[in-house]
Amino acid sequence: MNTFKKIILSAVIALGFTSFGGIANAACGKIVMADMNWASANLMANVDKVILEKGYGCEIELIVGATMPTFTSMNEKGAPDVAAEQWANAVAIPLAKAVAEGRLHIANKAPIKGLGEGWWVTPGTLKRHPELKTALDILDHPELFPYAEDPSKGAFVGCPAGWGCQLANANLYRAFEMEKKGWVLVDPGSAAGLDGSIAKAAEGDKNWFGYYWSPTSIIGKYNMQPVDFGVPFAGSENWDGCIVKPEQECDNPKPSAWTKSEVNTVVTDNFKKTAGKKAMKYLKKRTYPGDVMNAMLVYMADNQADGADTAIEFLKTQEAIWTKWVPSSVAKKIKASL
Amino acid sequence: MDFFDSFPVMEQQSLRDFKKFIDLSFRTFARTYGDALEAFFQPLLFFLVWLEKLLLNTPWPIIILVIAILAWIGSRRWQLVLGSIIAFLAIGYFGMWKDTMATLAIITVATMLCILAGIPAGILMSRSNRVQTAILPILDMMQTIPSFVYLIPILMLLGIGKVPGLIAVCIYAVPPIIRLTNLGIREVDKETLEACTSYGATKFQKLKHVQIPLALPTIFAGVNQTIMMALAMVVIASMIGVRGLGVPILRAISNQYLALGLLNGLAIVALAIIFDRITQRYGTRIQKHRGQKNKIH
Repeated sequence: MNTFKKIILSAVIALGFTSFGGIANAACGKIVMADMNWASANLMANVDKVILEKGYGCEIELIVGATMPTFTSMNEKGAPDVAAEQWANAVAIPLAKAVAEGRLHIANKAPIKGLGEGWWVTPGTLKRHPELKTALDILDHPELFPYAEDPSKGAFVGCPAGWGCQLANANLYRAFEMEKKGWVLVDPGSAAGLDGSIAKAAEGDKNWFGYYWSPTSIIGKYNMQPVDFGVPFAGSENWDGCIVKPEQECDNPKPSAWTKSEVNTVVTDNFKKTAGKKAMKYLKKRTYPGDVMNAMLVYMADNQADGADTAIEFLKTQEAIWTKWVPSSVAKKIKASL
Repeated sequence: MDFFDSFPVMEQQSLRDFKKFIDLSFRTFARTYGDALEAFFQPLLFFLVWLEKLLLNTPWPIIILVIAILAWIGSRRWQLVLGSIIAFLAIGYFGMWKDTMATLAIITVATMLCILAGIPAGILMSRSNRVQTAILPILDMMQTIPSFVYLIPILMLLGIGKVPGLIAVCIYAVPPIIRLTNLGIREVDKETLEACTSYGATKFQKLKHVQIPLALPTIFAGVNQTIMMALAMVVIASMIGVRGLGVPILRAISNQYLALGLLNGLAIVALAIIFDRITQRYGTRIQKHRGQKNKIH
């Protein structure tokens, strides 16, 4: 009799747990998402938060992040669970390894269309000097971009210290023999420094030449013009084996156009398990057209809106885009919550 | 009841407009006066670039010799001289010489600028209670406002580079010297001043020959604090494009290079300790001097 009771009891408990687990599964569970420290990723994280919370019943916590620290943490500790906009160039090898081992998954290979890194000039530069068609033309005229600390040289604004692109710019600087041509590679120190130098040049309608990437509000707002490198992409062996490496590991860099940027939405195995197939499917479908993203970023900058506000604005004004990412029943739930 | 439950917050649209208005006015201001301000600071930039080049192009043994001599003049203690030599040899050996020289250049210029601006401001404050009450909250603000906040307007006005970095450093580093100059002069004995007045000393004579000399040890403590705070700002200054020990530290932060961050951080600490001990010893030596005089009286 006692044993019988026990069996029943344990069966009830087990049943209770399974059904409880079932509910938890349906409710998607607790997810930690990286809220990266730049605008487009900030917006994407907040849009994901609203959609996954209101549409899929997840419980989302956003934590601040940055390319390298967030990736390291996801790779080593398995948290946070989602990096909406992980630029893969900087972490290509460890990412590939983690994906092969099944610890991380790439949920979306192109969350934003038409994005990329490269060299840019202010629109005024091209207006005044239409003869500057490629980077090679620009490199012959350092005098148009005088460096404040030594006006006899041209200033090429590279990446802030510690960014993955800093090495690439330093090696391209050597590959294009820019020092010999009279250029200085300027380290803007931080994202604020880089943005500030563009904003200052564009506001004062001065010439500016340096590194940036799109989609960003700065590019959209100041109508910055991408520079054609004037040389083709010189192969991934040169790029991955030399250009992105520290100087001492790259003896002979070849001039090359910027590699095509690979940006992924990376999730941990934990996300795949707790959030389930539906959420993965949403992430896979979620692709922002480049111009829409730029427009949202300019909205964000002009109104000094944060990611959460801009996410609401996006969900309210761009229904045609996001309703394609989710089933109509989910879209209804989200619309009702706005 | 509603009134108690939710704070009567400014309407979102007007708040947004308010922020936009401030931004726009500042942008117009930056557009109008940015170039003029840049031209104004041009001599400072030249001086800073010149000093950095001088430090970088001088052979390292000479620099170390000069530092050893300065340490001796300041402290008169061979331990400190030896310590400074060892610290700089270690800095050079670990490949941080160039960055250290760049940092040294900006710290030197920043300290000079702070002294030049701070001591007159401190004197002004000590002359009148009204000026003191007006300046004190400004000093409090300069010391507590997060530096990232004023980096934005500085960037808009002056772009990136050495001069904006220098100004950011000085905003944070100048308050102690102003405070301590004010304090030192106010602390000068009333009776001593009365004696001067009875001898018919003018206000300026009193200031120059009595108040400032007697306040010197306190003023020196201010200089010491200013140097320390300037060194603490090295990393922030690097965020707006100042070369120096802050750059590798920023690189270390973004890439979790523990050793790189630690080495450069320790180099800043070494600079700080050397400067601190030298200026402190110098300060106490002036005080000793005064103490002896007092005894003679």
